[in-house]
Amino acid sequence: MGVEGIGARALRKEDKRFITGKGRYTDDIVLPRMGYAAFVRSPHAHAKVVSIDARAALEMPGVDAVLTGDQLVADGIGNIICGWMIHSKDGSPMNMGAWRALEPEIVRHVGQAVAVVIADSQGEAKDAADAVVVEYEELPAVVDPIAAMADGAPQLHPEAANNLIFDWDIGDEAAVNAAFEQAAHVTKMEVHNNRLVPNAMEPRAAVADYNEAEEHHTLYTTSQNPHVARLVLSAFYNIAPEHKLRVIAPDVGGGFGSKIYIYPEEMVCLWASKRVGRPVKWVCDRTEAFLTDAHGRDHRSEAELALDADNKIIAFRVKTVANLGAYMSLFSSSVPTYLYATLLSGQYDIPAIHCNVKTVYTNTTPVDAYRGAGRPEATYLVERIMETAAREVGLSPADFRRKNFIRSFPHQTPVIMCYDAGDYDATLDAALKAIDYDGFAARKAEAASRGKLRGIGMSCYIEACGIAPSAAVGSLGAGVGLWESAEVRVNPVGTIEVLTGAHSHGQGHETTFAQLISERFGLDTDAVSIVHGDTDKVQFGMGTYGSRSGAVGMSAVVKALDKVEEKAKKIAAHLMEAAEGDIQIEGGELKVAGTDKKLTFTEVALAAYTAHNLPEGMEPGLKEGAFYDPTNFTFPSGTYICEVEVDPETGKTAIISFVAADDFGNIINPMIVEGQVHGGLTQGIGQALLENAAYDENGQLITASYMDYCMPRADDVPSYQLSTHVTECPGNPLGMKGCGEAGAIGSPPAVINAITDAINNNDLTMPATPEQVWQLCQGSMKMAAE
Amino acid sequence: MDMSGEYRIPAPRETVWEALNDPDILRECIPGCESLEMTSPTEMTAAVTSKIGPVKAKFKGAVTLENINAPESYTIAGEGKGGVAGFAKGSADVHLAEDGAETVLTYTAKAQVGGKLAQLGSRLIDSTAKKMADEFFGKFTEKVGGTSQGASASADDLDAGVVEEAKSISLDHAAEDAVKAVSEAEHAVEERLHQAEENLEAAAVKGRFGGPMVWGLIALGAVIVVLALLN
Repeated sequence: MGVEGIGARALRKEDKRFITGKGRYTDDIVLPRMGYAAFVRSPHAHAKVVSIDARAALEMPGVDAVLTGDQLVADGIGNIICGWMIHSKDGSPMNMGAWRALEPEIVRHVGQAVAVVIADSQGEAKDAADAVVVEYEELPAVVDPIAAMADGAPQLHPEAANNLIFDWDIGDEAAVNAAFEQAAHVTKMEVHNNRLVPNAMEPRAAVADYNEAEEHHTLYTTSQNPHVARLVLSAFYNIAPEHKLRVIAPDVGGGFGSKIYIYPEEMVCLWASKRVGRPVKWVCDRTEAFLTDAHGRDHRSEAELALDADNKIIAFRVKTVANLGAYMSLFSSSVPTYLYATLLSGQYDIPAIHCNVKTVYTNTTPVDAYRGAGRPEATYLVERIMETAAREVGLSPADFRRKNFIRSFPHQTPVIMCYDAGDYDATLDAALKAIDYDGFAARKAEAASRGKLRGIGMSCYIEACGIAPSAAVGSLGAGVGLWESAEVRVNPVGTIEVLTGAHSHGQGHETTFAQLISERFGLDTDAVSIVHGDTDKVQFGMGTYGSRSGAVGMSAVVKALDKVEEKAKKIAAHLMEAAEGDIQIEGGELKVAGTDKKLTFTEVALAAYTAHNLPEGMEPGLKEGAFYDPTNFTFPSGTYICEVEVDPETGKTAIISFVAADDFGNIINPMIVEGQVHGGLTQGIGQALLENAAYDENGQLITASYMDYCMPRADDVPSYQLSTHVTECPGNPLGMKGCGEAGAIGSPPAVINAITDAINNNDLTMPATPEQVWQLCQGSMKMAAE
Repeated sequence: MDMSGEYRIPAPRETVWEALNDPDILRECIPGCESLEMTSPTEMTAAVTSKIGPVKAKFKGAVTLENINAPESYTIAGEGKGGVAGFAKGSADVHLAEDGAETVLTYTAKAQVGGKLAQLGSRLIDSTAKKMADEFFGKFTEKVGGTSQGASASADDLDAGVVEEAKSISLDHAAEDAVKAVSEAEHAVEERLHQAEENLEAAAVKGRFGGPMVWGLIALGAVIVVLALLN
């Protein structure tokens, strides 16, 4: 690979095994005597479990056991928790209903597990699961979150009257109301953020292995954060104390947030392995993934933007109802609150903001963080209303945004966040230029001559990555700290292992983290390996989500590298009889400045381990660890512009071009960043045009396969035009911001703004299916005719 | 799913009513019906083998009769359980009106499917149920009226939110079999759906759900609706 430091477009080290089929995923793990789990799931959205009859199943070939929720509860296994406490505006804690990994009494969404079969093969387990007879007594179900809050609606949990989990406020309501009194113009709109299914390429899986002699559990699982999983499994679910539980997340094929949480199935495998006395494997099938992976988004909001006579924003008021599904998933409460409403200032200088959020139980799959987690919902709301307000007051969308941009930093918003750095004009200028905004009118006219409707729409997003600092999030209700850890182990031969608490499930850490070492010591990236995803190998760490691996995880590596460098220089200075301050590291060698004296990195490492000649009092070895707790979030930002062409005859939207101008701070590997942006944009375009998790009125998920849930494909998206502009993040040693979610956060409003511009109708909701667009085209034409 | 329709049967109302209560006639008219037994004056069980596309499967269903107002109207409700495979429920208000020597049968039916049946087959239910209803009434008219000229005019009221394009095209399509209808609907909507269909068919070959069970369950949904339409 060679020496490839910061900024190199290094090819991904991990891709050799991924693209040659040599990756090792959880389902590749086979243990002796292993049994297979299959879950018995409710076909009803809301029902009493009257009885579970496993007699027939137990007599089927290969069946070892059928376990139910009563046994789980009797064994003292804890309920599934939500790890972020939110208090309602009246001070009361959130109303959390009990969630048991196998439900013995009342099922609350289709697909909820009531029993598990353990058998010798996967086929036998699934056949036997089909033979378990469960008698249900159906209860009325509610799917719509607004309907769920009404008096007389079906009640899911006794703890939550009217299915209300919490009623939470942020911002200064009185100031907002006063500003609205003074407003010269008010733009109002309703915004619905559609429910999505995460659809990681690799479905969830678990292999649990209990060693009776050692009283020790091992869990191989598809986790984005194995240490957090071990902590929760130990501290809350009573599976085993932490030192008796090893969690390994091997190669993981995509997460997007959905593999942060500790789900019932993984926990049941651990419990079942001990109960049946053999290793237990479970691999989620695609339908189970649709039914049980935490869904994303599902917000309904009313927003009002107040402008003064000069079209400056003076206040922003938002009311949001967030559907959290049937149970509170691990971070479900933080997504529509501190990860959402705190971003409602966007890139704009807004003096007063108030947001009320009501979260609601419904008979649907639980909802939690999904790529962007709250920030896509905020960005969609802000950028839709910005575009709408610009149209209403007759300003160009770019000019209206510019009029309201924040231009001095740090900038304290009225909703907690303090933006540290950014240059919003720069990314807007870059995007306008890249898409040839000035030439749009001519392109629109040309399209009209062919009977097509051209539209252009933009989105100036801001997001918050690397959620931190720990003390701050703790004060807001988080149950965990959000620092990261690293250990840099220099081997006696000078190769290096970096142990990181971050976890790679597609992000390319094995490459980018190695580039840090290559940069620092001038070593070949092949001399570096990145170790992650095993609680027995790696020190406690917080995992990967919220675009935190760079800004937080790599910062911990940098701190550890500082210590290694310092010690290596001391050893080199001692060996070469030079002053420590004169030692320079260059090209894999430690040199004495101004002389030809030098030692290779390998020689210094070996000296550290032979310990024959170390400075007085120095410990042998060359291995250092560090924890890094950031002082603030990072704030990536940028402008996305989308140009579409709508066929009014069919309602079909074609994305003609899409430009992205991002500010991610400093970039380690531009190729990997581009890959992240491409993926994010495609997911965002998927949300805007295609994807929607739909329930019927009885709570049946009717989009539970790829026949009915439409994922974006290569021919749905254009060849993206990307550029980056750098303002360094002052909050971390590398000046990085994070790029993993920006594409999914910023793109949906750009697409919808473009389509509404094309069809001259603002009533569009996501996904903009051809049918909906066609209907709106008919309405627009009718209005034009009148 | 909501469905309604009207059939003109060239026979007196009394004859139609009796036929609708005659297990032998029903057995002969229900597509794929192997057995049909009255267990009480208002209850019956049926075993039906259905072939939809490449898949053949056998289902059992139970139907009860309510609000009987002979020979004019009744409400019938049917339910079929498939364990973890899901369930199908249907009910229909059926009305017989005299029109000279002929009888006009009208119905409004509601069907609900749940579990795997809803997750994988919901968009096929409408077209399949309609096709089976038409097949049933075609035969029934032939048996009872001695002719197959019974005009069919049924209108389907679709659920929103389910790949409407595909649905409406498959509904409009008087397809020979459901798979072909799906295939053509998908072509018309978007080629991207094509791969999904192939995947489903690939899964069907492997034999787990997505396989015969799904296609069979789709048939069950249709059967329940059909059962609900008669007695």
